[in-house]
Amino acid sequence: MFSRRDFLRTASGAALAVSASSSLVSWAAESSHLAIPGKEDLIIRSYRFFDLETPVEFFNTWLTPAQHFFVRNHMHEPSTLEASSLHLSISGEVEKPFTINLADLTKLEAHAIVNTLECAGNGRAFQTPKVPGVQWQKGAVSTGRFSGPRLRDLLERAGVKSSGKHVMFRGLDEVPGKVPPFIRSIPIEKAMDPDTLVATQLNGAPLPRHNGFPARAMVPGWIGAASCKWLTEIKVLDKEFEGNFMSPGYRMPNQPVKPGEAVKPEDTHPVTTLNVKSLITAPLDGSTARARALDIKGVAWAGEADVTKVEISTDGGTSWKAAELGKDRSRYAWRMFEYKWKAPKAGDYTILSRATDSQGRIQPATPVWNPSGYLNNAIDQVKIHVQA
Amino acid sequence: MFKHNANYYFGLSILFCALSYAQTPSPSELPEGPMQAKAVTACTECHEARIIVQQRLSKAAWTKEVDKMTKWGAVVEPQDRDTLIDYLSGNFPVDKAEYVAERSRGPVAGVKKK
Repeated sequence: MFSRRDFLRTASGAALAVSASSSLVSWAAESSHLAIPGKEDLIIRSYRFFDLETPVEFFNTWLTPAQHFFVRNHMHEPSTLEASSLHLSISGEVEKPFTINLADLTKLEAHAIVNTLECAGNGRAFQTPKVPGVQWQKGAVSTGRFSGPRLRDLLERAGVKSSGKHVMFRGLDEVPGKVPPFIRSIPIEKAMDPDTLVATQLNGAPLPRHNGFPARAMVPGWIGAASCKWLTEIKVLDKEFEGNFMSPGYRMPNQPVKPGEAVKPEDTHPVTTLNVKSLITAPLDGSTARARALDIKGVAWAGEADVTKVEISTDGGTSWKAAELGKDRSRYAWRMFEYKWKAPKAGDYTILSRATDSQGRIQPATPVWNPSGYLNNAIDQVKIHVQA
Repeated sequence: MFKHNANYYFGLSILFCALSYAQTPSPSELPEGPMQAKAVTACTECHEARIIVQQRLSKAAWTKEVDKMTKWGAVVEPQDRDTLIDYLSGNFPVDKAEYVAERSRGPVAGVKKK
């Protein structure tokens, strides 16, 4: 079959051969942006393979539309995605391993959750000193209604043995070079949670291909890396999966470390749940307001915990006022917030937002540095100019 | 239904690959220098230059990256390693101005939306 990579190779030769005289090429050249089917107006952190960040202005709805839902890939997307040929195997420490095709998977009882999915590296670009990795700023996060069968239902059908302690996911993504495959595992307790899904739908439609069509794990409240895309294998293990993306990847120091300090692997633990965090989505950073009366808006989330409070400061953090939380809510989903403010006079202002959650966690003033720049949940800030 | 969607997306992706490939910055966006050609062959076989040019790292951090990527299949001859590290850390040091990423296109007129 003609794969995407074959196509790109061919296209690269073709593009050289036809030069700019081709109407196709000249049409494309008139555009100021790269076109990515199904993904509009996203910040391109990487094009081959896709890592696409959502600009915060698109977080103005509780559910993020599919075309604005961020994309994080570790590898090349599967060259071909034929729904009819897909099979998902459940094996390992189980009594009755089995394989299920997509048609049968979609016949199983579906469960829906609204989940705020965030890449562990969101906000990495704001770490000091800088750390290597995709330089995500604010928008490696989105919220969607995911639905599909419970992972637990599949595991119970297979009959998990008492030796089964972790559940490993493998996707169909294609590994370049000698790069270790993107395989990770979650503990059996989270796998058996009734809200952990094999999701086939996002916001009532089939998953977009860049977000894992036709099926992905959906591990709510946890870092995005837990929710393996293009799922093809579920394997029950007697211990945590050993591989690059479990260790040294996706681990945090057990104790706070000084910025820039090296950390020994044995002094780390896997990154699992998301932190309490908020983002200001309006007004936009660097914008000019024409009137002094402003609606300060944003979103706040807390992984497996609930957001209990969002506070706004317009005086650099000296005083804080509670924002109003939006009505839309669901476990694992962000809350929208709004705070009506009138600037005392024209001038430059810094607006801060700070969320608190049901576990008593509160956003720190500055990022908590770690060698891979994970879970940056520092207080958000935007700088604006008020004209009138 | 799924098959339809997969084909739909595949068809669209063919169209858009054709339209967008010409716009994809070529690997030559890596800056000129003694190791430019080596960086193109060693690094961009697996990922594009964007992943490199957005980094702002110390020489020590670049060294770790080059060694990790070599382990992962990047072809860097031993005699080129130090020069490649110098090239990357010289062009993408911690104090270089922030990389500004572009956006993907918004809705395209005349193209059927799903």
